[in-house]
Amino acid sequence: MRGVGGVDGLVKSVTQLAGGVSEPEEVAMGRGVAETLLGARPLVDDGELQRYVNAVGTWVASQSERPDLPWRFGVNDSDHVNAFAAPGGVVIVTRGMINALNSEAELAGVLGHEIAHVTRRHHLQALRKSAAMNLLGATAAAGAAGTASRELVSALVGPTQELYARGLDKSDEFEADRMGVVLAARAGYDPFGLPEALQTLARIKADDPYLALLFKTHPNPGERLDRLAVAMGPGFDALPDARQNADRFLNATRRLKPLPR
Amino acid sequence: MKPPRFPGFLLFLAWLLPVGPAAAQASGVPPETGFTLRETEVRAKPFLDAVPVGKLPERTLVTVTQRQGGWMLVKSPAFEGWVRMLNVRLGNVDSRKNDTSFLSAIGFGRRPGGMPTTTTGVRGFSEEDLKAAKPSPEQLQKMDGFAMPAAAGVQFAAAGRLSSRAVPYVDAAGKPVKGAK
Repeated sequence: MRGVGGVDGLVKSVTQLAGGVSEPEEVAMGRGVAETLLGARPLVDDGELQRYVNAVGTWVASQSERPDLPWRFGVNDSDHVNAFAAPGGVVIVTRGMINALNSEAELAGVLGHEIAHVTRRHHLQALRKSAAMNLLGATAAAGAAGTASRELVSALVGPTQELYARGLDKSDEFEADRMGVVLAARAGYDPFGLPEALQTLARIKADDPYLALLFKTHPNPGERLDRLAVAMGPGFDALPDARQNADRFLNATRRLKPLPR
Repeated sequence: MKPPRFPGFLLFLAWLLPVGPAAAQASGVPPETGFTLRETEVRAKPFLDAVPVGKLPERTLVTVTQRQGGWMLVKSPAFEGWVRMLNVRLGNVDSRKNDTSFLSAIGFGRRPGGMPTTTTGVRGFSEEDLKAAKPSPEQLQKMDGFAMPAAAGVQFAAAGRLSSRAVPYVDAAGKPVKGAK
C-alpha cells in the first residue's frame, strides 16, 4: 500500500478522484476484493511463474494511462479458465487460462484486457452501484488510513461474490477487448494474441464446465471476435517486429501441472 | 539414460514427438477445422499486399494448418493460402454444435503430460466456490511479494526484445480515439 502524504499526495488524491472515490480508496477496495477472490482459490505455489506473470503484466500496464498504480498479478490454482481484475491494479488469472494460452503475446492480450478494466474503473463503478452505506464509509476510512481495514474487507465480501458471479456490462467487456489489443501492441507484442486466445475459446462447446463462469459473465467469444474484427480492421496487420515470445512463455509455465488425469 | 539437462535438448526431443512443445511454435498448430465468416481473399503470403491466390465465399469449410500474427494458413478444396485470422472462425458453422471440450482444445498440446482424460480432482473457480470464499489476507500478502517494480518490467521487456510504440486506442468502429497515446 502506498500512503498519501504531504502536499503532493494531497494534490494527487484530489486530482485522481473518480466518481467520488480517490485512488487510495480505490486501491484499498481492490485489496479487499482480492482477498475474497484469493480466498476462493489460492495462488499457484510457483514463484518463478508468479514473477513472470508480474513482469509481463507490469510491462503491459506501463503502456496504460495508469502506470503508477500498485499493480499486482497472480495465477490462482484453478483448472477453470478465467481471469479477473479488481480495482486499483489487481489482476488474477487461473492456471486453466494459462494452460489455454500458447505465447506471451496471448498472455499480454489477456492481461491487457484485465488492465483495461482497472484503468477504466469498470469494477469500481459496478461495486459503487451496488454498495451499501457501510461499504462507502469503510472505503473512505481505508483511503484516509492508506490501508484496507478488516471492516472494509468484510463489507466487500458480499458485493464481490455478487459482482464476480454476475459479471460486468457487455459494453465494458468489448471496450476492454479493444484496449487490451492496443496495450499489447504498445508493449511490442503481436496484437493478435487476444484474438488467438478467443479463437481457442470459440471452438469450445458452450456448456463446458471448465468455462462455465467465464461464459456466464462474458459475451460469447464469437461475438467478441466479431467486434474485434471491426475495431481492429487492417490497421494492426503491419506493426513492425510484433513479437510472440512463445518460447519464453512455455519456459516460464513449464512446471504447471497438466490437468488431472 | 541420464536425464537431459538442457532445455534445448528437451525441445529437440519434443520435436520428434507428434504432440509436445514443438507444436507451440507461434506459427504452427495441428490442423483444425474452421469456416470463413465472410467472403475472404486468399493470399500467397501472410501480408495484405501479397499476391492474391483467390477468394473463398462466406461459410467455406477450411482446414487451418498455421497461424502467424493476424493470419491463418488455410486449405480448402479450391485453394491453399493465407487469410486474415478474423475472417475465420474455428469450430462448427453452428457454434451450438461445437463438440470440442476445453480439455481437447488445449490438447494443441504444448505441455508435457499431454491430454487429460478425466476430470477427477478438478480445482474449480465456479460460482459456488466464489460464494463460499472467505477473505485471505495471507494470500494477498503472498501476491504482494511477487510484485515487480516498473523498472524491472522494462528490463524484462528488453530481454524479450520488446520495444514500446505509440498505438492509439480504437473505438468500436475502428476509429482512433482522440487524445489517446
